[in-house]
Amino acid sequence: MAANNLKHALFCALVTLIISYPIIGFNLEIQGINITLTGATTSTIGMVLLAAVIVFLFQLFRDRIMSALRSLPNPLPQPRKEPMAENKRARIESWVLTGIVVLALFWPFFVSRGSVDLATLVLIYIMLALGLNVVVGLAGLLDLGYVAFYAVGAYTFALLSQYAGFSFWMALPLGACLAALFGLVLGFPVLRLRGDYLAIVTLGFGEIIRILLNNWTALTGGPNGIGGIPDPTLFGMEFGRRVREEGNTSFHETFGIAYSGEHKVIFLYLIALVLAIITALIIRRFMRMPVGRAWEALREDEIAARSLGLSRTAVKLSAFTIGAFFAGFAGTVFASKQGFISPESFVFLESAIILAIVVLGGMGSQLGVVLAAIAVTILPELAREFSDYRMLVFGAAMVLMMVWRPQGLMPMRRVHIELKKQE
Amino acid sequence: MQDLLYFFQQLINGLTIGSTYALIAIGYTMVYGIIGMINFAHGEVYMIGAYTALIAITGLATLGITWLPLVLIVALICAVLVSSSMGWAVERVAYRPVRGRHRLIPLISAIGMSIFLQNYVHLAQGSRNIGFPALIEGGFQFGSEDTFPMSISYIQITIFITTLICMTALSLFISRSRIGRACRAVSQDLGMANLLGIDTNRIISATFVIGASLAAVAGLLLGMYYGSVDPLFGFIAGLKAFTAAVLGGIGSIPGAMLGGLILGVAESMTSGYLSGEYKDVVSFSLLILILLFKPTGLLGKPEVEKI
Amino acid sequence: MKTSITKLATAVGASVALLAAGQAAAEIKIGIAGPMTGPVAQYGDMQFSGAHMAIERINAAGGVNGEEVVAVEVDDVCDPKQAVTVANRLVNEGVRYVVGHLCSSSTQPASDIYEDEGILMITPASTSPEITNRGYELVFRTIGLDSMQGPVAGSYIASQKPERVAIVHDKQQYGEGIATAVRDTLKDSGIEIAMFEGITAGDKDFSSLVTKIKQADVDYVYFGGYHPELGLILRQARQSDVDAKFMGPEGVGNKDINTIAGEAAEGLLVTLPPSFDQKEENKELIAAFDAKGEDPSGPFVLTSYAAVQLIAEGIAQADSKDPYDVAQTLRSGSFQTPIGTVQYDQAGDMTSFEFVVYEWHSDGSKTPVN
Repeated sequence: MAANNLKHALFCALVTLIISYPIIGFNLEIQGINITLTGATTSTIGMVLLAAVIVFLFQLFRDRIMSALRSLPNPLPQPRKEPMAENKRARIESWVLTGIVVLALFWPFFVSRGSVDLATLVLIYIMLALGLNVVVGLAGLLDLGYVAFYAVGAYTFALLSQYAGFSFWMALPLGACLAALFGLVLGFPVLRLRGDYLAIVTLGFGEIIRILLNNWTALTGGPNGIGGIPDPTLFGMEFGRRVREEGNTSFHETFGIAYSGEHKVIFLYLIALVLAIITALIIRRFMRMPVGRAWEALREDEIAARSLGLSRTAVKLSAFTIGAFFAGFAGTVFASKQGFISPESFVFLESAIILAIVVLGGMGSQLGVVLAAIAVTILPELAREFSDYRMLVFGAAMVLMMVWRPQGLMPMRRVHIELKKQE
Repeated sequence: MQDLLYFFQQLINGLTIGSTYALIAIGYTMVYGIIGMINFAHGEVYMIGAYTALIAITGLATLGITWLPLVLIVALICAVLVSSSMGWAVERVAYRPVRGRHRLIPLISAIGMSIFLQNYVHLAQGSRNIGFPALIEGGFQFGSEDTFPMSISYIQITIFITTLICMTALSLFISRSRIGRACRAVSQDLGMANLLGIDTNRIISATFVIGASLAAVAGLLLGMYYGSVDPLFGFIAGLKAFTAAVLGGIGSIPGAMLGGLILGVAESMTSGYLSGEYKDVVSFSLLILILLFKPTGLLGKPEVEKI
Repeated sequence: MKTSITKLATAVGASVALLAAGQAAAEIKIGIAGPMTGPVAQYGDMQFSGAHMAIERINAAGGVNGEEVVAVEVDDVCDPKQAVTVANRLVNEGVRYVVGHLCSSSTQPASDIYEDEGILMITPASTSPEITNRGYELVFRTIGLDSMQGPVAGSYIASQKPERVAIVHDKQQYGEGIATAVRDTLKDSGIEIAMFEGITAGDKDFSSLVTKIKQADVDYVYFGGYHPELGLILRQARQSDVDAKFMGPEGVGNKDINTIAGEAAEGLLVTLPPSFDQKEENKELIAAFDAKGEDPSGPFVLTSYAAVQLIAEGIAQADSKDPYDVAQTLRSGSFQTPIGTVQYDQAGDMTSFEFVVYEWHSDGSKTPVN
């Protein structure tokens, strides 16, 4: 056994060297018109060797290390505790949620503009992730092209405001409904595909939408995007320094206060907050309605669900459409916040990030999704000093999370009634 | 006459790119056939193969070695070695611990790995496009100068022949060798194969190594054919290759070949007769259409719903 | 669960504290916004290097009206979404002048915020005409427009009296903008445009495109975009014996194209601003860059330098730190900068920004074409 371990450990160390030394140890550099190969600094090579040694030692004493780790007290004590009584848990959760909402309502008035703007972005991601949660987490349909519906929402608002002068409030339901329509139309043919085929088709669809937006220059401005998207108004009051549209008044003049750009940022934040709460509440309702139960039933066992009389197409379509609807919602808010959109905001990486949020949060769990959206958006901002390593760490975190805590930050727990134990 | 030559030229272009898609697609299709997951990081393994080949070629040039066969063989060996080790390590680190869990979990792990590897190369080698020396230059010309001279370059021929050799060797390997038989057994029923004494972990590792080696071959060939590498190009190529694998019927090796060729030809015909900007739209639409009418791809086995 | 929420609250609190920190007096903050990371980080490096040099030299000379210039750097990764976030962060920091952003698609949404907040912005790199044609008061640039560069290239091609011309672009704001301008100029001169088509940026296989160009039998191919794609097109075209002459904008004019295209880069035509780093009056400045081990020849180094300098001189001449006064001064005056004499029109564009046609050689050098 020991010899076997040694052999394995040596092999692992060798592989570590092979995959890191050529790529890290040699640098291709462009000097003038020639490409030269330079060796990395001694310290870099030292690091590579160190990594190999660590892998070697870890593999050699793998069994002992793993058993030592297992005997350590679990750093996350929750799973070991007796599960809380269901009604108590639900009560605490609702208190916490109310607390967060109250905090979120008053928070922007005390912090800086940059933070509020970032928080708006977080809320947009929360909306997106909550929507995708319906599709992936609840209905178990792997959608890799979710960003397409987000784009439909954003472009609907941008186009309507540019060509027909629609305001944010008129475009919001339209954008969401159009996105839902897209979801319906796409979902209809593809939902009979299973699992990974569905994943690749949705991915393809996402790319097709983006490329069409990029190519249809006459309508969408192509790569130039669409600018001058209006901000939301509050009962006809605009938040800009100058009033853009006839008939509107400006917020600061109406209330006789000095102009401040913060008003607009905070107002947008509050809109996003309210919309995110509405999204969460509606989806929460859905989850408890028969259709929500049907989603989960279909996810757990498609054949059993069908034999119980559930229509596969109708159930899947409803999940797909509702998910798309909220993506459209988020897209409209995004367009309004940016004031300018172009196809490069709707690339596949965006879909991957939203998916990562859903999975990190614990598929199906709303609170978890909210926390994960905050983590995924804010952590990279905090770690800007390491900005070069940001995406590297992001990728590694996704892998490690899946390996160590695949149920996500806050695994979903279904509301259920427990029968009293027999005495 | 001219139109016909033009058509053939586009066909050759399409078949060239299609056969490299096929080489990359093997990695997807074998992994999917055995453990039923999409190895999203496969495109990155291919990219790393291309980078390693370039590093080897540049290194040899610095040492003053320019004898072409030697350069090619050394570059090929280096690329295959690094890529296959990478394939092995990726499976070990990111996929084995999550095997058997909910279908989404390995997929997320794979997307994470893909992002990680992209940035790994980005940090180590920078984000600039680096030129890849054209080692094999020249080609045959058909047709006269005044109409439309059709040409096949030596590198295109090299790509065809190499792909053909790799595919034949792989088919023989899968159908004849012990490991190949074990691969087929594992892809039919992993649990049962395990019970029968097949070291399934080893077989799965072997699958990743084979897929990665073929991707490395594609990396070297395409590097020479196109002319540059950058850390992001693996992802797009991987996506296309995966599309090719699905198109042909994922899990099926001849399917990957067929899917790759169809996709390559479809792309080059779109660029040739329509417009290059709709290339990706056409290839993805083609995929969607084929899946709608034949949900398991062209050569895939129909899935039986187990009740 | 409670613990995780408190942790979160501390994290958010810490971020707020970080963001709000640092408000010192008697200094002029200039925000520098561009990509430090991401695929176009190499262009961002040029921008930061030029701006830093300008700030160092201004401070060494005693600052602006005795006040020190301080750089506030932010990274927008050339992503429109991040650009808005960092623009808001600059507003937070109390920055009133910004040098940036680099990519037009980032500059555009960010400039909305700057204009609203009364922040003066000078972009050293964004060439989209859209940026300055919205009637903004505080938006300037130290670079030419797509619509200036296109006609230069177009009229050069027209002057060579070709029979047919192919125009290819990379479907991005910059590339398509210039390509459209070239097409319009050529159409006006009555030259047949055999093809006008887009490619996908980041693509590597152009064999079909090259075959198409070959069949179209054109004399000139104009490419709107950047060097990675054109380098590959040149190389693949040479392999298929395409004998047309290629031409591109300043985005293709750097030595990286030689490493990709090799011999095929010989004879490529490029429209570039006259090389500022070759100018006699910049000698001392170039020496300063060399002393720091930095390369001043990138297209955005000296434009960024000039942007900082213009802000400093604007403040000094207006004798006011109010961005509106500075904007007024910039519009009315004329300034000597390393990129030549700068005068602004009402929109915020330079009244003249010259482009010259160069011929590129396979050793990475270039010679002006007459």
